[in-house]
Amino acid sequence: MRFHPKVTVVLLALALAPAASNAAELETLSAMHPTSPIDWPTIPQTGAKADQVKQNLSKIKLPPGFHISLYALVPDARHIAIGPQGIVTFVGTRKTKVYAVTDRSRGGVGDEVKEFAPTLPKKIPNGPCFSKDGFLYVVEQNRVVEYPAAEFFYESPDVVPNAIVPEGELIPKGEESYNHTARPCRVGPDNKLYIQLGQPYNVPGKDKLGMYTKLGIGGIIRMDRDGKNREVYATGLRNPVGMDFNPKDKSLWSNDNQVDGMGDDQPPGEMNRIEKGGLDFGFPWYGGGRVRTNEYKADTPPAGVVFPEVEQAAHAADLGLMFYTGTMFPEKYRGAIFSTQHGSWNRTVPVGARLMVTFLKPDGHVAGKSEPFAEGWNDNGYYLGRPVDVAQMHDGSILVSDDLVGALYRIWYDGK
Amino acid sequence: MARATGRAIAALVLLVGGSSAFAADVAAGRAKALMCQACHGLDGLSKVPDAPNIAGQTESYLALQLAAFKAGTRKSETMNVVSSTLSEADVANLAAYFSAIEIKVVKIPGE
Repeated sequence: MRFHPKVTVVLLALALAPAASNAAELETLSAMHPTSPIDWPTIPQTGAKADQVKQNLSKIKLPPGFHISLYALVPDARHIAIGPQGIVTFVGTRKTKVYAVTDRSRGGVGDEVKEFAPTLPKKIPNGPCFSKDGFLYVVEQNRVVEYPAAEFFYESPDVVPNAIVPEGELIPKGEESYNHTARPCRVGPDNKLYIQLGQPYNVPGKDKLGMYTKLGIGGIIRMDRDGKNREVYATGLRNPVGMDFNPKDKSLWSNDNQVDGMGDDQPPGEMNRIEKGGLDFGFPWYGGGRVRTNEYKADTPPAGVVFPEVEQAAHAADLGLMFYTGTMFPEKYRGAIFSTQHGSWNRTVPVGARLMVTFLKPDGHVAGKSEPFAEGWNDNGYYLGRPVDVAQMHDGSILVSDDLVGALYRIWYDGK
Repeated sequence: MARATGRAIAALVLLVGGSSAFAADVAAGRAKALMCQACHGLDGLSKVPDAPNIAGQTESYLALQLAAFKAGTRKSETMNVVSSTLSEADVANLAAYFSAIEIKVVKIPGE
């Protein structure tokens, strides 16, 4: 076995300090040095599980002329980033891996699924997003890594990473949690990187509020693509796990998951329209919509709080969100929002587990409530799947991820 | 020490058995488990990274932990919320249901 001297030193250091973070591999790879060869298997795409998933999809109801099929089996599939060149789709997880899904046959299925950058350890790498010029960003629990030209370099197990927010600098170490730590990102029309940061509690204590507001925990932050000039863009969110910019008016739309333990039917979930920076969306004074939290009932909410654009079913867990800009779907869907409801975990009768569509008026506000677009994963309270994110392919079809089944589905339209 | 532990376990089992004046109902537990499935699965096998497998778990352990989450003596942002709505019967039924799921170890690394 041949080791690069630096790798050997690093490995020794690792062996001596097993509790050390993933800094060693990051250093080696950042310097474009190879690591040792690893076992790099692909995820099987055929067999009993694939057959069962395909059979379950026959229960999904869509508007006439739309179809759904299994695109790929991807374990723990969370948020999706489709490469601007149309070569590869990256999928985050709430565990330790990011997957690269490639349509090798160019036939509308992701027939090769492999771990992305397997030689770099990752912690809760839930949120991948792309810049238009092909830089992939992956937001982890407490780090943000940039992978230049990821769509080309992903074919090798060693991908050059650039930690634009080093480990431990996204949030204070003491605020790390597992809860509410799935962090999506987007590169905005201003070319800045936007990141959603959930706060760790059901309702945070008052001693935390000052720090959270200052750091944008329970909000959205933005920074230059090199990690500099970080600022808080929006506050008063609880656990936002999905956002997108309206290409028409540049407003940022964000779903937000609301307070648990207030009963089956309140408070409502939220879809928020973030017209500009500096707005407060009302949490923790409001626990969802206009429902006050018990913990902050006696306190006066800040002036100018912005209420949600759409109130969603309580506890349905609205996650991924995207504006449809394709031309494959009929005219009425162009410029509309597709978003997911993961499905409730704390309701006596489960709600959600579906794909929603929200139509907008010419003034940029919603025309009405969000409507179910694809449903059937909630089979009388038993989940056949739990949709997480939705993303648009280059041909105008859309992908939906499902972290219960571990799959990507493709929805397309042919009018038949 | 071992004898003391043994006695403690016996006492706990008696306590759990004795606190419910009814027989635990597995079918009712299964119906109630719809509110557990998103994280633990209806099969008791974890569906999210921050929830443990509970299939085949000891009934008395499950009942004790649910009671501890409900009382707030064991802390969890999610379990404290979920367990707050459970009745004493729900706790017993859920513990009975998840413990009744049969599981099998297929492979042990290194063997």
